Amino acid sequence: MTPPAVAAAQPVVLRRLRVPGMVWALPIYLFLLVFIVFPLYRLFADAVTTADGVFTLDHLIDFANDPFYRSALVNSLIVSGGTVVGCIVIGFTAAFLLVRYDFPGRETFSYLTMLPIIMPPLVGIMGLVFVLGRAGTINVILMDYFGLQKPINFIYGWHGVLLAMTMHYFPLITLNLVDGLSKLDASLEEAAEAMGARGLRKIRDIVMPLVTPGFVSGATLVFILAFADFATPLVVGLQNLVASQAYLNIVQYVDQRLFKMGVVIGALMAMMAIVFLLIAQRIVGLREYAVLSYRSVERKPLRGVSRFLAPAFFVVVLVVAFLPYLGVTLAAFGKAWSLTPFPTRFTLSHLDTVLHLTPLYVINTLRWSALAALFILVVGVPLGWILARSNLPGKGAMDAIVTLVLALPGTAIGIAYIRAFHFPILGFVLSRLWVIMPLVLAVRRMPYTVRATFASMLAMHKSMEESAASVGASGLRIFKDITAPQIWRGVLAGMLFSLMFVMQEAAATILIFLPGWETMTIGIFTYYTSGTIGQAAALGLVLILLCAATLYAAYRLTGARMGGLFGSGGG
Amino acid sequence: MQVRLDGVVKRFKAVEAMAGVTLTITEGEFFTLLGPSGCGKTTTLRVIAGFYDPDVGGVFFGDVPMNGIPPADRGIGIVFQNYALWPHMTVFDNIAYGLRIKKVPAANIRPQVAAVLKQVGLEGLQDRTPGQLSGGQQQRVAVARALVLNPRVLLLDEPLSNLDAKVRARLRSEIRRLQQDLHITTIYVTHDQEEALVLSDRIAVMDNGRVLQIGTPVDLYERPATLFVADFIGTNNLIPGTIAEIGEGMASLTTRAGVLRGVVVGSLERGARAVAAIRPENLVLDDSAAGADVVLRGRVVIAQYLGSLVRYEVEAGEGVSLQVDVSDPKRHRRFTPGQEVAVRFHAASAQVFAAGAIA
Repeated sequence: MTPPAVAAAQPVVLRRLRVPGMVWALPIYLFLLVFIVFPLYRLFADAVTTADGVFTLDHLIDFANDPFYRSALVNSLIVSGGTVVGCIVIGFTAAFLLVRYDFPGRETFSYLTMLPIIMPPLVGIMGLVFVLGRAGTINVILMDYFGLQKPINFIYGWHGVLLAMTMHYFPLITLNLVDGLSKLDASLEEAAEAMGARGLRKIRDIVMPLVTPGFVSGATLVFILAFADFATPLVVGLQNLVASQAYLNIVQYVDQRLFKMGVVIGALMAMMAIVFLLIAQRIVGLREYAVLSYRSVERKPLRGVSRFLAPAFFVVVLVVAFLPYLGVTLAAFGKAWSLTPFPTRFTLSHLDTVLHLTPLYVINTLRWSALAALFILVVGVPLGWILARSNLPGKGAMDAIVTLVLALPGTAIGIAYIRAFHFPILGFVLSRLWVIMPLVLAVRRMPYTVRATFASMLAMHKSMEESAASVGASGLRIFKDITAPQIWRGVLAGMLFSLMFVMQEAAATILIFLPGWETMTIGIFTYYTSGTIGQAAALGLVLILLCAATLYAAYRLTGARMGGLFGSGGG
Repeated sequence: MQVRLDGVVKRFKAVEAMAGVTLTITEGEFFTLLGPSGCGKTTTLRVIAGFYDPDVGGVFFGDVPMNGIPPADRGIGIVFQNYALWPHMTVFDNIAYGLRIKKVPAANIRPQVAAVLKQVGLEGLQDRTPGQLSGGQQQRVAVARALVLNPRVLLLDEPLSNLDAKVRARLRSEIRRLQQDLHITTIYVTHDQEEALVLSDRIAVMDNGRVLQIGTPVDLYERPATLFVADFIGTNNLIPGTIAEIGEGMASLTTRAGVLRGVVVGSLERGARAVAAIRPENLVLDDSAAGADVVLRGRVVIAQYLGSLVRYEVEAGEGVSLQVDVSDPKRHRRFTPGQEVAVRFHAASAQVFAAGAIA
């Protein structure tokens, strides 16, 4: 019976200043509006207006009437579709083997399967050319020792693009499916077995439909990424693809009509990414079931021939996936490497050039990455928190924007930024300020951090925060004492993923950089196109090592499961 | 269909989930595997179903050995604890799936599904998906799916554990009625002893991978063979002590509550440590103790009025607390906390076991 104490407590609660959540979130709203919504609006608006700002559909009609662009569009769809099919075949096989069976080297393979992701696409295709190109290791060996007259065309053309993209993107499918498969309750399949559904029948009727969400998420992402990749086709000599045309039309800067067409293509690519995303979300939404796993399916040891076939599958896939690493490493240390299978003499001079003599690229990448990480921390983490915990107006829109950014082609974002920030805003022409580099990088790669924060928040039950609030802890205090200690690992892992993809980014930055701002990926492109292969490879090797270190740190932080970060649907 | 397990051992790495289980379940019987979690009951069910093969011993349906025969070829129907309904299929498709696998002509599928749906009382819900059903309805779909192939043996793995009390009681009776109508050999796994007593023809109580006792509900309740069974089935007052006198199937036990007498279960000798077990309803407070031959002194600590009975907690000696259930409260004198009472019982209603680990 102590009524005075209760009475004293009352005013304390009342005195606490109540600032509406919207005010706290205002900078976040503004950031999203200015740096995502506005550029996209400019991109779409530009595609349907004349130079004088009058609405017109002429540009779109021009695009549709031009047989060259029409065939480019068809080609792009074929390349992306083919890549998805390839990735599904390899990705599903890998995931199913890793989750369901035990065989020699399973653990090692499950780590290695992740690795193709750390290869920046540009470096990957370059490394592949060193090994499989006309004068690459394999062809030289075949001609010198096996009497082959003409080099075999392993990679120039359609098949090369498909090979390079499949080997680079299949881990996205594997990650999503490993996640989905390990969440399936064992009894769902046992019930089917009890009725006589076995082997492929069981996979078709029960397993596949239940992992559809992860499947579709992964496949959509692969499709969109393959659709947007302009560098890989260019390196192996394919130009008549939509993404490549967008890039070529924009960077020539001379012909206004071509430039405008580049903008139109950029807008179309963004539009298509949105459409693919909506379709995927519709499928995922229809097919997502809240299946609680009571008991996961036991891993079966493989016996007999299959005990060796499974590792053999992984060895073949991984050897091909790792060929680029071999090529890049050889070229980075090789001295005057040409016309021999492997370099005959080795040197550190290429590394010395890119790290010591011309460190600009490395320094810029580190500088922009650090700043981008800072932007991501300041905007992305609160955004993840808002999506998970708040009821702020526009939450749904914010969620949509984050997912959209994940799917938008870098080329489209680059073009959108060029169009949006090429004139003074409040006296600044943003496109002439170096800060636009870390900004565009942050915007493009923020979704990984937002999702990681969101997922970590969801994994922590709200009642933990509520019980802290019930004993009188303030909002910030709760965050510091209860929330932060439980989510920091997940958030940091998400940020490291963001960071890794920031370092790999080539598409958006290659369109907006001004001399002096070049990143490592731009450096690689410049070196490679100017024929200084050694330096390009050395820079590539440094980039690979940076990415590997980042991924390793993220992996150590989270343990293993990161499939959710790569999905395009749900969440 | 008779189901027989002969010395079945099943190991998971170092753990022996079944340590030599021998059982015979007769045709048309409702047989329950009862025990605490981790006792091996679900493993036993899964060995019968064919999801696991025994490491040692054999499973027989009738006289046919089942080892190595896959679940689908055993003629079983199984209901899982979480029902395991396929969420991407409608109720109809869930049930029809097995028929389709067995290549039943499409024209015959519809009437067969309709028939089992009628049996479980779910007519009209066939186009729903599992997500649109209540827990109780999902459970019935799972039963219908298990029955549609006319199995020789129906296996149920804790099928009611995810339901709330009311639905559980109703479905319990429905399962029993269905089983009796179909006269199908049924093996039921549960950790709920009340459920087991209500449903079963016979029960096997399991612990640590072993069968401790097999019997009818009456056997298990009135004549538990071990201290574990005495403690696990129903409520028992367990009073530890030392054997003072033994002979002709009866023993006297010196305890902190005084000297008790009871029926000896198993082999015991003078001076051995033992435990007396007496059911709360066999204890009588004070006056109406005609013919009772054991009397203890105690003090009422708690008196709970439950309508059909009054439940007393009586402290009889240091650290010995007895639960006493007096049914039909209107006909008996009522006691209040603090009152000194005499607790009486018939020596024939108490059992004396060798002392050992209970759980």
